[in-house]
Amino acid sequence: MANLRDIKRRIGSVKSTQKITSAMKMVAAAKLRRAQDAIENARPYAVRMRSTLEEVSKGTLEETHPLLAVHQERKALELIVVTSNRGLAGAFNSSVLKLAESIVAKREPEFDTVGLTLLGKKAGDYFRRRRAHQIKHDSPIDGNVSYEQAADVARDVARRYAAGDLDEVVLVFSEFKSTMTQTPVSTQLLPFAPPKSSADEEDSADEALPFEIEPDPEALLAALVPKAVEIEVFRAMLENQAGEHAARMTAMEAATKNTEELIESLTLQYNRARQAAITSELVEIVTGAQALE
Amino acid sequence: MALELVVVTPSGEALCEEVEQVVLPGEAGDFGVLESHERFLTPLGLGPMQIIGTGGSRWAALSSGFAEVDGTRVVVLVDSCALASDIDQDASESRRVAAGSELAALPDVEENAGERARLAAVVAKAELDIDVAGR
Repeated sequence: MANLRDIKRRIGSVKSTQKITSAMKMVAAAKLRRAQDAIENARPYAVRMRSTLEEVSKGTLEETHPLLAVHQERKALELIVVTSNRGLAGAFNSSVLKLAESIVAKREPEFDTVGLTLLGKKAGDYFRRRRAHQIKHDSPIDGNVSYEQAADVARDVARRYAAGDLDEVVLVFSEFKSTMTQTPVSTQLLPFAPPKSSADEEDSADEALPFEIEPDPEALLAALVPKAVEIEVFRAMLENQAGEHAARMTAMEAATKNTEELIESLTLQYNRARQAAITSELVEIVTGAQALE
Repeated sequence: MALELVVVTPSGEALCEEVEQVVLPGEAGDFGVLESHERFLTPLGLGPMQIIGTGGSRWAALSSGFAEVDGTRVVVLVDSCALASDIDQDASESRRVAAGSELAALPDVEENAGERARLAAVVAKAELDIDVAGR
């Protein structure tokens, strides 16, 4: 039977772990709320962007913009993989990385080269060990997700796509469904598919008035499409951020619960050991007294 | 006075107010919008926006995006919008200097094109901020 002092020490260490996990849970919950606000704040921009794109692409040939053009060649595929900077968030990062890895494996035969643009330290750590030669760009997510960082990444791939160095770009990230569920998803970023206006929404008569487009639809499309690509990357980063905190919150809640159970069973063990010690002491005294009679 | 100006950026709605007139930095040149302007859509470049209300005019620095105008409403979608009063001139100046020297140090060769374009954009944005803050 374990020594009383050993058990006591273990209880102490589990208790301090519990303090850490419950503090981390609290921090993650606060950050999650902020991350959700950020998603909410980005929504009006994305919604307006979408409606304007619909408006513009109604009247124009879609092949007029280099980012909309589908490349017939299959030379280079690029994956943008978004993960968090830190772990301790359950299977959050590993499920995204697993999806990314499977996409690379599946599509590698189709293309001459498959490149990786990695956002978040965890993606870097993972792929540096496995596919270091394929990494084109690798950066941690700096602090709170900024539009500038998303735009930089988007501009970089857009420039290479327009120059013909890339033939397809796929975005892999965790979609934030709810606090309990984050699903890894992959979407095709380039060639960019402009949103199609659904026919049902066309009824509103006064909205049907067409916009005058200055100087011409092509020029507007040239300004719009890169922005729409940027906002896609930005959205992926925001979803990833919210998902990270949600996953960490859930993971830490489970960890706190586990420490509670552990403390309970250790306390039981401690009490048993203490009682056993008392009993054996009593037996010793009694036998000692009997021997004297 | 029935022109509603709405400025939306990826980090949220930056402005939403009633104005008399707004002057926007269109890609083909600055243009003013008054009430009952024709419905139109146009791309915007990096530049200053002048907001003219009853109490005088204010300035803001816009980076590229586009504007959707109809008779009663101007919706401006841009990457960022900073009111002159909110701009930290010293921070902009140091950004300008830092990016400028980095740009000067980067050799002008093909593989640096992306990075150079990014730095040049940072410099241009910082210069605009300083310009607008001084108005």
